[in-house]
Amino acid sequence: MSTIFVLVLILFIAMVLVGGLQGLKSFLSLAINFVLIFLTVVLIGLNFPILGVTLLNAVIILAVTIYLGDDNPLTTETAFYGSVLVMVLIVLLIVPIEHWAVVQGFGNENTEDLEGMSLLVGIKFLDVSIATTILSSLGAIAEAAIAIAAGLGEILSQNPDLPSARLFKDGISVGKQIIGTTFNTLFFGFFGGFLGLFIWFERLNYTWGEFINNKIFVSELLMILISFIGVILTIPVTTWVMEVKVRRKRAKD
Amino acid sequence: MNKIQPKYQASWLTIILVILLGGLLCWATQHDAALYQTPVGQVIKVTNQKKVSQTDNFHNHDFSQKQLLKVRILNGHYRNKVLQVQNTFSASNAMDQAYRKNQQLFLNIQKKANHKLQGTITDLKRDTVIVFLSFLAISLLLLTMKFSGFMALLSVLLNGVLFFLAIKLDVWLQGTNILLIFGILAFVFAGLTLFLVLGKTKQMLVTFGATILGTVGAVIVTLLVLKFTHEQGLHFETMEYVTQNPQPVFIAETILGSLGAVMDESTDIISSLFALHRETPNITQRQLFLSGREIGKSIMGPLINVLFLIFMADTFGMMVLYLRNGDSWGYAFTMNMSLGMVQSLVSGIGIVLAIPAASWFASSLLKRGDRL
Repeated sequence: MSTIFVLVLILFIAMVLVGGLQGLKSFLSLAINFVLIFLTVVLIGLNFPILGVTLLNAVIILAVTIYLGDDNPLTTETAFYGSVLVMVLIVLLIVPIEHWAVVQGFGNENTEDLEGMSLLVGIKFLDVSIATTILSSLGAIAEAAIAIAAGLGEILSQNPDLPSARLFKDGISVGKQIIGTTFNTLFFGFFGGFLGLFIWFERLNYTWGEFINNKIFVSELLMILISFIGVILTIPVTTWVMEVKVRRKRAKD
Repeated sequence: MNKIQPKYQASWLTIILVILLGGLLCWATQHDAALYQTPVGQVIKVTNQKKVSQTDNFHNHDFSQKQLLKVRILNGHYRNKVLQVQNTFSASNAMDQAYRKNQQLFLNIQKKANHKLQGTITDLKRDTVIVFLSFLAISLLLLTMKFSGFMALLSVLLNGVLFFLAIKLDVWLQGTNILLIFGILAFVFAGLTLFLVLGKTKQMLVTFGATILGTVGAVIVTLLVLKFTHEQGLHFETMEYVTQNPQPVFIAETILGSLGAVMDESTDIISSLFALHRETPNITQRQLFLSGREIGKSIMGPLINVLFLIFMADTFGMMVLYLRNGDSWGYAFTMNMSLGMVQSLVSGIGIVLAIPAASWFASSLLKRGDRL
């Protein structure tokens, strides 16, 4: 049996044992997201419009992660609208930043991996790196949106008459609880994912100048910083969506 | 209402100050060429030549185009000299790029026999964009989160310094002890980060214990699986940027990568359980354990997706290149995505293991009727 298959099996059993039905749903969301990610890269490879395919699949990934991640309809709906709004804001940041930084494709450190490959493949790698950055930020944005929406939902269920101005303050204080740990998740992911690259820099005696201007380093750091900015934006945006929903519901009653 | 007014104005003042400071920093990095040893030049004129259409063995259509750049040197010996350099780029820009006016770049300059200068471009100068985005992220963090944002930032900076020292140590030891070094580093990372966020409290100790148990558990499971499946279907030789034996580097990467997510899960569960115990001190151990599980299972799905999406999306460039070079989907997956997939699966297992670990630690420590 292949290693990946056994690990998938272990994760599946562990998730169902610990989480029951919710565990099964979470596992399903991982599986669907894998199919969506793979589909996105295959469609890009088949020369479909990169940004169109990415944005469409990004919205589906957000929906899958959020609706299979929580049961409460108020939480999921708020989190979904909030995270889609944040995604739009983030895309408006990513596109100019990627054009500015020019970190698409591969760096000199990849030369060995590229041996014997044709690089003139007629695909705009700048758009590919925009797609990478958008997709890699979605998980963190979805997680933050669910946490904020669930936290505010809990507060509202205990004080149904909470004035909407207070809600904003509560949103920020829920945000404070999650931001530190999310910051760590992202940065440890970054340290871990690029240990090999950092060892390379040290072994080949890169200077500080070469290091902070390096194409691969800059592209990875941009990815993490943008995910992080996405998480911070999620706090006020999701709170705002919740506030609008509460105001509408109260107007109806 | 009158009281709120000045507070708002003060925060506008802060925002204006922050924007000014950010602008100043970006301006400074635009003019920091003197800090670099390598020659830095600024493009002052671009002349593009004709496109030459190209078709590769896989019928991919592309073009290549030459451009002549007039570059003014900004630092060093040849400061303010203007020279002509050549650049070739394609439509796909996989490893090349079209330069634009006003961009700054690093050059390699040689003096030829007839005293003419000849330059080649080595890379684009990217420090301004890094400074801009880091500044944006840090100011958003500090403006929204104030003190707790500062502590989170401090922990990342300290961890970054430790990480850097550990890499120096690893290279000095010729990569012979990488697992030991980064295993110990993982303990230090977890302890330091939790200490800065939670202080020296009971809660911190419990969270630390759960984090270590979750991570160590996941790593042991992985090592066992690797051993019994004989690493079937994995190609460690495909790892990028490897300068030493790849398998231990991979395991070390996996430990560090999962650590943050496992810590995230444990922190959330344990802080909720401590709050619950504070509000209802009469809660039984079993009820605490079950609530921990309840909280944990609602976070685990989204959390596993965070790292999964990062690790998968990161392989897109190589995946596209393989697919356009006529490789099959399966081959492209095995060569590029499989190791990232293993990393996300291992961190997923760690995240799930942290749920019973955190619930058990917290519930056995928080005695019934205790007031902390």
